[in-house]
Amino acid sequence: MPASVASGEQRSRNVVPASTAPDTLIWFAELRAQALKVYEREPLPNWRRSGFWTTSLRKLDLDALAPREHEPVSELPALVTGALGEQEVGALIVQSGASTVCTSVHPELAEQGVIVCPLDVAVQEHPELVREYYMRRISPDEGKFSAATAAFWTGGAFVHVPANVQVDKPIQSVYLIEEGGTAQYVHTLAIVGEQSECSIREYCLGAPITGQALHAGGFELYARPGANVKLAHFHDWGPGEIYDISTKRVEIARDARVDWVPVHLGGRLIKQTLDIVTAEKGSDMRHTGLYFTEGEEHLDLFTSDRHEAGYTTGDTVWKGALTGNSRASYEGLIHIVPNAQESHTYLQTHQMLLSQKARGDAIPSLIVETDSVSASHGGTVGELDEEQIFYMTSRGIPRSEAVRILVEGYFEEVVQRLDDEGLQELVRRRIARKLADAEDQVAEFIGERA
Amino acid sequence: MSLEIQNLHVRIEEREILHGVDLKVSKGQTHALMGPNGSGKSTLANTIMGNPNYEVTEGKILFNGEDFTEADPDERARAGLFLAFQYPATIPGVSVANFLRLAVNARREEPMKVKDFGKYMRENVDLLKIDPSFVSRYLNEGFSGGEKKRAEILQLAMLKPEIAVLDETDSGLDIDALRIVSDGVNALSGPGMGSLIITHYTRILNYVRPGFVHIMLDGRIVREGGPELADKLEEHGYDFIREEVDGDDAG
Repeated sequence: MPASVASGEQRSRNVVPASTAPDTLIWFAELRAQALKVYEREPLPNWRRSGFWTTSLRKLDLDALAPREHEPVSELPALVTGALGEQEVGALIVQSGASTVCTSVHPELAEQGVIVCPLDVAVQEHPELVREYYMRRISPDEGKFSAATAAFWTGGAFVHVPANVQVDKPIQSVYLIEEGGTAQYVHTLAIVGEQSECSIREYCLGAPITGQALHAGGFELYARPGANVKLAHFHDWGPGEIYDISTKRVEIARDARVDWVPVHLGGRLIKQTLDIVTAEKGSDMRHTGLYFTEGEEHLDLFTSDRHEAGYTTGDTVWKGALTGNSRASYEGLIHIVPNAQESHTYLQTHQMLLSQKARGDAIPSLIVETDSVSASHGGTVGELDEEQIFYMTSRGIPRSEAVRILVEGYFEEVVQRLDDEGLQELVRRRIARKLADAEDQVAEFIGERA
Repeated sequence: MSLEIQNLHVRIEEREILHGVDLKVSKGQTHALMGPNGSGKSTLANTIMGNPNYEVTEGKILFNGEDFTEADPDERARAGLFLAFQYPATIPGVSVANFLRLAVNARREEPMKVKDFGKYMRENVDLLKIDPSFVSRYLNEGFSGGEKKRAEILQLAMLKPEIAVLDETDSGLDIDALRIVSDGVNALSGPGMGSLIITHYTRILNYVRPGFVHIMLDGRIVREGGPELADKLEEHGYDFIREEVDGDDAG
C-alpha cells in the first residue's frame, strides 16, 4: 500500500519550509525537505537476498500509524525502571512515542561540560555542533525509512562529551512505545571528544500493545581521536506488533576505540543496518551482538565493519538463537577499502536453531580491496550438540535444564561484553524467560533428535 | 551395592559392537577393563551411562538390583553412577565452578548454600592439588588434555558416586598429571566407591592397583583375573591374549 499524501502531511508537521526558518537553521530545514521528497518518492521497500530470505512490509499498515505526543512524566513508567534497574545514572533521556517525557543530567556531568538533551533542543541551542555531525554518515537517500526518520523525527537524543573528559556514570537514552497505532521517528546523535571516555546505552522498549506500531530510528556515534566509548543497544519491543526499521552508524577516529554491544530480544519485525567504521589510523572496533527470536518474530540484521584507513583493527562476534516460528537472518560484512593496508579484522557469526519451524541464516562475507591485511570470518548454523547434552545429563542435570544452561552459556560470551552488571542481568533474565516460554517446543525438538 | 552388566549386546548405527558382556562391579572394589583400541571398551562405558547413540538390543544393566537399561543418563547419575569421559565435551560460557554447583545440586533435594558449596569445592580443589583459578574457567574450553582429566576427577571427587567408570582417563596425560589423576582415584577409592578403570595401557595400573582385571577383545570379555593378569599383559601384549583366545576357539 503506498503511503498517502495525507499521512505524509500529518507526519511532516515538523518539516518547516526553509523560507520560514531562521538563518541558523536553513540547512536543517533544507535537509528535512530533501528527506521528505525522498520519502514521498520511494515505494515501500522489500529486502530480498539469494536463497529463501525476504523481509517484506506487506503486513504493515503504515497509513494507519501516526506519531503520538505525550506529556512529561515525573515518575518513569514501570517498563523503563524495570529495564534500567538500580544502575547509577549519569544522564537519562526518555522518549515515549513522539515526545521527550523525561530528561535528567547529573550535576557531575554538567560540570564536566557534557551536554545531554533531546536532539530537537540541541538543534536550537547548539546548531553549529549539530550541523557538523548530524547525518554525516546517514543519508536520507538510502531508502524510504532513512528518509522518513530524517524528515519526521521528533525528540531524539543528543550527547556531546567534550575533549579530555572521563565520564564515570552511564549516559542513557530510552525510546518507548506504549500504544498501538503509533509511529515513532527518532534520531540519536552522539559525539565523544578527543581522549574522552564514556559509556552510552540506548534502550528500545515496547509495552504489550494491541495493533501495530513503528519505530524508525537513526543513530550516529562519532568517537573523536583517542576516545574510548562503550556503547550498548538493548532492544526489547515486547510481544506486540512493533516494527523497527533503523540504521545505526559508528565512526571511530584516529587511535579511538569503540566497544559496541547490540542486543535484540524482541520485536515483530526488525530490519536494522549496523555499520561500524574505523575511519582513521589506529582506530579499533569491537562489535559483539546477540539476538534471540521467538513466536512470529522476524529479524533481519545487516552489519558491516568498514575499514577506511590502514592500521585499524576489528573483532566482531554475533550470536543468535531461534525458537517458535521465528525467522532470523544475520549478514555480516567486513569491508576493507583501497589504501587501508595493515588492517586486521575478524568476524564470526553463530546461529542456533531451537525449534523445528524456525528458519534462519547467518552469512559472513568479505570485501577486501587492498593487500597486506588480515581479514577472516567464520560462521556456524546449527543445533544444540547432543554430545554436550549427554555430558551434562551424565552429571545428573535433567535434559531440559541442560538445554537451558547450554543456551545461556552460548550467549554468555556476548553478555560478558556488556559493561554493566545490571544490564547483563537484564539480558540473562530475558534469555531465561524466552527459553522457559519455549520449553515444550525445545524439548520436543531436542527429544526428536535424541 | 553394585553395577551388574548381564549379557549386554549393543549396537551403534546398525553395527553390533558388544556381543554379550557380563561384568559386576561392587562398591569398594577397583576393576580394570583392558583391551586394544576398537575392542568395545568405550562403547561399554557410554552404554553404562546411557548415551542415546548406543542401542541396547539384548541384556540388562542393573544398578543396586534395579533395572537401569532404559533409564535416562541423568537418572543414572542421580542414582550414583559416574562416567569420567575420554573426550569430555566443552561447555562454553559455563565455568567449572558453576557447572559443579549445578551437578552437585542436581542430586540434592535442597540446593547447597553458596557458602557451603564454596568451602566444599575448595576442599576438593586442595585435595587434588588444582590451581584455584582453574574453577573460574569455562568448562573444558581451551583445556589441555591433562586439564580435562583434572576437571573430570574434580567432578568425580565432588559428586561422590557409588560406582565410577573412568574411560581412558590416563590417556594423554604426562607423568605428573597421571600422578594427580591416580592419586585422586586412590584418595576417592574406598569402601564407599567402586570403580571400573578402562584403559588401553597398563601405565595407570602402576599407580592404581585393581583387585580385578577384565580383558576385552572384539566386544567380548575374554579373560578375567586378578592383578597378575595385568602384569601378564604388560609382559606379552594383546597379541598374546588374542592368540590364546583364538587357540581356545580352535580347540
